[in-house]
Amino acid sequence: MLTSEHIKEILNDYTINLRFHARGGQGGVTASNLCVEAFYGYGVCQPKFGAERMGSPTESYVRLSANADLVRSNEQVYGPHFVSVLDPSLLTEVDVSAGIPKGGWLIVNTVMNQLTIQDAVKRKDINIATIDATRIALDVLGRNITNTIILGALFRVSHLFTLEELSDAIMKRFKGEVAGKNIQAIKQAIEETCIYDMGIEPDFTVDSKIPWQQVSLGLPGYKDLDKAGVWYCDEDIIPVGSDQVNTGSWGEWEIIWDEETCTSCAQCWFICPDFTTLRKLGDDGKYHMSGIDVFHCKACQNCLNICPVQAISKRAKQGPAACASPEEGGN
Amino acid sequence: MSVEPMKLFFKEIKEPVETAMIGNYAVAGGVTQTDPDVICAFPITPQTQSVEGLSDVVHQGRLKAAFVNVESELAAISYSTAACAAGARTFTATASQGYLLMSEALPMAVGWRVPLTMMISARAFNAPNLSIWNSWEFVITDYGWNCIVSENVQETYDAAILSVMMSDNSLFPTMFVHDGFIISHSVQKLWLIPDEIVRKLTPRKPRHTITTEHPGVWGGIVTPGFFMEGRMGLDMAKKSVLDVMKNSFDEFGKETGRHYNLIETYNLDNSSKTAFITMGSMCGNIISWMTKNKDIGLIKIRAYRPFPYEELQKIVQEHNIEKLIIFEKSDALNNLLPPFSTSIATALYPLKTLFRCFIVGLGGRDVTRDEFSVAKKKMESVNDMKGQLYTYLGVRETKDKIHGVNM
Repeated sequence: MLTSEHIKEILNDYTINLRFHARGGQGGVTASNLCVEAFYGYGVCQPKFGAERMGSPTESYVRLSANADLVRSNEQVYGPHFVSVLDPSLLTEVDVSAGIPKGGWLIVNTVMNQLTIQDAVKRKDINIATIDATRIALDVLGRNITNTIILGALFRVSHLFTLEELSDAIMKRFKGEVAGKNIQAIKQAIEETCIYDMGIEPDFTVDSKIPWQQVSLGLPGYKDLDKAGVWYCDEDIIPVGSDQVNTGSWGEWEIIWDEETCTSCAQCWFICPDFTTLRKLGDDGKYHMSGIDVFHCKACQNCLNICPVQAISKRAKQGPAACASPEEGGN
Repeated sequence: MSVEPMKLFFKEIKEPVETAMIGNYAVAGGVTQTDPDVICAFPITPQTQSVEGLSDVVHQGRLKAAFVNVESELAAISYSTAACAAGARTFTATASQGYLLMSEALPMAVGWRVPLTMMISARAFNAPNLSIWNSWEFVITDYGWNCIVSENVQETYDAAILSVMMSDNSLFPTMFVHDGFIISHSVQKLWLIPDEIVRKLTPRKPRHTITTEHPGVWGGIVTPGFFMEGRMGLDMAKKSVLDVMKNSFDEFGKETGRHYNLIETYNLDNSSKTAFITMGSMCGNIISWMTKNKDIGLIKIRAYRPFPYEELQKIVQEHNIEKLIIFEKSDALNNLLPPFSTSIATALYPLKTLFRCFIVGLGGRDVTRDEFSVAKKKMESVNDMKGQLYTYLGVRETKDKIHGVNM
């Protein structure tokens, strides 16, 4: 286990990097802001740049050091020593362990055990801490907001700040009762964090950025691109753009289509904003409904509301926690 | 619904206070403290949270300003210029294509000598693909605005106040720029200045305005007999602006303890007699990288327009700099060099300093130690000014090859 003396020593000459995985609305960015505010030295927090939508996977990064010049860099964080995952459904959807150096820490809000997580992220050389933050959030805060609670687990394994510093940052950010409840939840989280220490310590002196990682080799180069930067639909799709984004994971609901009841009136096909109602040309020369593209369906429920024969219904999905409030994002 | 981080600015700030916020809200806070009369901006993409933050401060009654939403950036700059000409302290903000859409009306703010201020979050324009991320679109046009560029959140917050000082003292409009997303959306710690000091730094000054007591024709048509005199008049007036900016930096430094300059330098007396020269957020990346690479220096341009060419010549001469590595986030499809490098090349012409320009970080691509190391290495073998003077760095040539880099 890391000690606070060791961490303090490292912070004098090196940076310690953090990454938070959450879904839009769960407060991942707020958690990383609180880290910067609670930390005694210099710190920068960057969200993953781009547009953020409610329920979509988000990332935010923190760089901390006691040396001002090291934190002055506006480079993105490539090798996070501590990664916190606020939503367990992200384990299979996003590569949460990307860039974590050997001996780094993965902190997950989950009730799963270490072996299951190791299998999910396919890494045996990192330490894992788990915390059932959702339950604590519902018990103490009365709603499913886990961003401050995960900081309790982070404090327990990292010693980057003291409990007093964290409490101060929270009291600056939230007012009165809300601040008190968050601090109470953090204290409970510190007690309840399950630590699976593999006995490996991270080497903070080595930067684990892969050379030229930012250039994303493997995607087409300028010689491969066609005139006008166009991606022609009948050729191999360039793996960027909205078609590749699993927007289906963002929503809270699963949309179910009942073939028996459906009259193929196509009202849902016209109203769907994402072209996720699928149709097929039948033997009779007419188009018939054939299903829902679950990879892209965000469950906006427009189709459910417009269907004249109630052939479309919804059911709560296991997965992303209910989102609370929109948070800062780009526009 | 109020904008959480802006709450700090709802009340009078009595003493220097440390906080952490994103660049856009920091600017909104700085602008609030300068007490503008008119805030006018196009509210939709490409726009930033600075205007959102200001709308909240106005809504809460903290700021007695007219907050005007208009239908386009062209309308925003036209409205702002006119409001400023009528005597109001005016702020506007834009980013990306919005700046290009303003183009038609940008020269008039200069022509009328109105002390307007504008924030620009530097972001790419769309061609051949759409990108909302960071590039330097603001360098491609130059209509005579003053321009200062900030490296981090503290600098951009200070720039919001500094640009009001510079505009008021020079009677030329000033834009202050920070790198889109990299600074505009990063949370960094910063120190806020007490309102009392901001008021002292930015007093209202009498100036020429549109009034009914003294009617006149503003921007009337002239024959060839008049136009050139007007242009040369502007040029002569521009000559003293760098001194005004310098004085503003000095005055600001005296009150706040944060000292800036037109050009800032780091480790120039190094063994390789080589230095990077760039502006904006990349300077921070280079300074961090320099903690382990002590044989190279950095020249950071803080005042981009008017370009401080005499200062730059003096620095290069005094420190015997032989080679300069220019890092620029815009490209040159038609020219020998991109715009920022062109200004540097012009300044260096009498000195015969060797330089090369590296085009990096377009459309938000990260600029890292990889680029710095390669540029430094490439510069070691440069001995003349022959051939193409710029190269792209950090671009895929094919799926497995990076342009100009042996891996």
